[in-house]
Amino acid sequence: MFETALTAKDLIFLAKGAGMTLVVTAISVFFGTILGIIFGVFRYQVGPWWAAPLTFVLDVFRSIPLLIQLVLANAFVTTVLGIRISGFTVACGVLSLYTAAYCAEIVRGGIESVPPNLRRAARSLGLSWGQDMTQIVMPLATRVALPSWIGLALGVMKDSALVYIVQVVELLKSTQILITRLQEPLFLLMVCGAFYFLISFPIARFGGYLEKRWSHD
Amino acid sequence: MKKSLLALAAAATALAGPAFADKLDDIIGSGKLRCAVVLDFPPMGSRDADNNPQGFDVDYCNDLAKALGVEAEVVETTFPERIPALMSGSVDVAVASTSDTLERAKTVGFSIPYYAFENAVVGRDGVDMANWEGMKGKTVGATAGTYEAIWLEGKVKEWGEGEFRPYQNQADVFLALSQGQLDATVSTVEVAEANVKSGNFGGIKIVDKAPMVPDYVALITLREEYGLINYMNLFINQQVRTGRYAELYKKWVGEGVPADLTIQGVYR
Amino acid sequence: MFNYNFRWNQALNSLPQMLEGALVTIEIALLSMLIGISVAILLTVFRLSGSRILNAVATTWVEIARNTPALFQIYMVHFGLGGFGIHLSPYLSLLIGIAFNNAGYLAENFRGALKAIPETQTRAARSLGMSAGKAFRHVVMPQMLRISFLPMTNQMVWAILMTSLGAVVAMNTDLYGVTSELNARTFRTFELFAIAAVIFYLITKAITLSARLLAARLFRY
Repeated sequence: MFETALTAKDLIFLAKGAGMTLVVTAISVFFGTILGIIFGVFRYQVGPWWAAPLTFVLDVFRSIPLLIQLVLANAFVTTVLGIRISGFTVACGVLSLYTAAYCAEIVRGGIESVPPNLRRAARSLGLSWGQDMTQIVMPLATRVALPSWIGLALGVMKDSALVYIVQVVELLKSTQILITRLQEPLFLLMVCGAFYFLISFPIARFGGYLEKRWSHD
Repeated sequence: MKKSLLALAAAATALAGPAFADKLDDIIGSGKLRCAVVLDFPPMGSRDADNNPQGFDVDYCNDLAKALGVEAEVVETTFPERIPALMSGSVDVAVASTSDTLERAKTVGFSIPYYAFENAVVGRDGVDMANWEGMKGKTVGATAGTYEAIWLEGKVKEWGEGEFRPYQNQADVFLALSQGQLDATVSTVEVAEANVKSGNFGGIKIVDKAPMVPDYVALITLREEYGLINYMNLFINQQVRTGRYAELYKKWVGEGVPADLTIQGVYR
Repeated sequence: MFNYNFRWNQALNSLPQMLEGALVTIEIALLSMLIGISVAILLTVFRLSGSRILNAVATTWVEIARNTPALFQIYMVHFGLGGFGIHLSPYLSLLIGIAFNNAGYLAENFRGALKAIPETQTRAARSLGMSAGKAFRHVVMPQMLRISFLPMTNQMVWAILMTSLGAVVAMNTDLYGVTSELNARTFRTFELFAIAAVIFYLITKAITLSARLLAARLFRY
């Protein structure tokens, strides 16, 4: 099983694909989280009625397969609008919004978990809205939200396997390219799966640990 | 007065200029030709030991770029993705063994043919199949969206028995065939021979020629880019005229005479 | 406004075909959930059994399902098992791939739900003379399923979304497969996939709504 035609060069090729997976994930999680926090706070602040349009749009991102979102966004931007733009940009844009849609829910849940009385107490002590948000809500909400956020980030990493559809060569796609040449599907897929697993598993465990620890006190 | 009008007209032309620049100008201006090439389709497109693109189509892309005096950039696409990639502007042309079907011509612009394939039926050892009609009632597959796939799916529907499976790329088709998930596939003779010879896929054999008209393939770009299409036509003509076509045939396909790209009794 | 001619007619003509595909998509998602829930219960029992081997099996399953891409899992079911001579049709490959993923995520949800059920209940049931199996079936499991109802609804939505990955195993009768095949023929990418997106949206909305109605009926007390 370990006799393979895989060369050091192929490993570098795979590593490049893995790098692309991580880059796309990092960019999307970064922008997605910022947007998600803005959307989440906005939704909580203005109430369900005024946030309805935003809620609807975010809901769409969670109700349509990511593959279709990518195809559609790519077709819309490049064919309908006629803008020349790389597949990488489309992939990062769509994945960022996709992340934001889930992140907004997590943020909202986090804010809602902070007891209103505590916030009223803070405000009556003379804290401004901003101070209340940063000094009271953020530390408490983060405890509730962080484990889910870690889960989301890992989910985005796994979902980034779909960006091959807009010609971005990430880990799974580079694996397929090597399979085409070397014809060792099982071995190569194991390597690819192991990579995802090795990144995801420890972080997921860490998230579980945080969740357990923080839920006790 | 006349002078200022002229100046105005000149200014207007200059302003409107970029809007009228066609793809041919864009390519020359940007100094880069982006070709969609399918790289799991040896000998037309594959990857070498360093995972760099190689093959007949890759060389054609390089030749075309050289003729245009620009740099070539090979963008790998699968068969089903090559036309969407072209439509979405992520590539300028597709040098991707694209069959010149009338259905596709509604969407993209074809050059004159630059190559012609014959198709072969590839079966698995141990599956009883004397000729192409032996595929009747079997589980067959091909690469989604290709000329062969459209033909084969049509046949399966016509026979009313058996099953057709469209895989996303050529490699998956042969993988499925050698694993026994498929009983047979139809692919170009070149690809079939290369895959049987390489020994990468065990237990497969060429059964018969597929009874299809020769599969003429052409370069494609956007439908409205007449300037570029015109250029590509001349390019293909020059490739044959200068002997480059025969040379690349020998390099990638082997000994023998490359397919005739003209058709008796009709203009282009 | 746009330098692009929309041709909705051509795409809308394919609507009947796409709706048929939508039925297949729903069918696969439902079946994968049924299999997924059953296997997840089994995995939960494995984890509770105290046997080290069974526990390892369950843990391995859950961690692989949760830590690798679903696309990878589905591809492995088809070509990975294919390498060992186990040949599954595209339909079955997709169904089993999604069910595998469902089972992993649901088993983890069930584990979380179990924590919310006081262990004293099991002990009380045992002291009433119920066997361990009976106590699990009649006392613990109903509560576990009820607590996990919302995560199960989410997983069902995920199952619908995951059917779109079937194209890698040559699946061409589900909504995504039908759409991409139509696209390969007509190249009206935007129109076709926009319609598919609307259908997917309606399906997922229908599922969350009916789940809410079902929950209101089931858990009235």
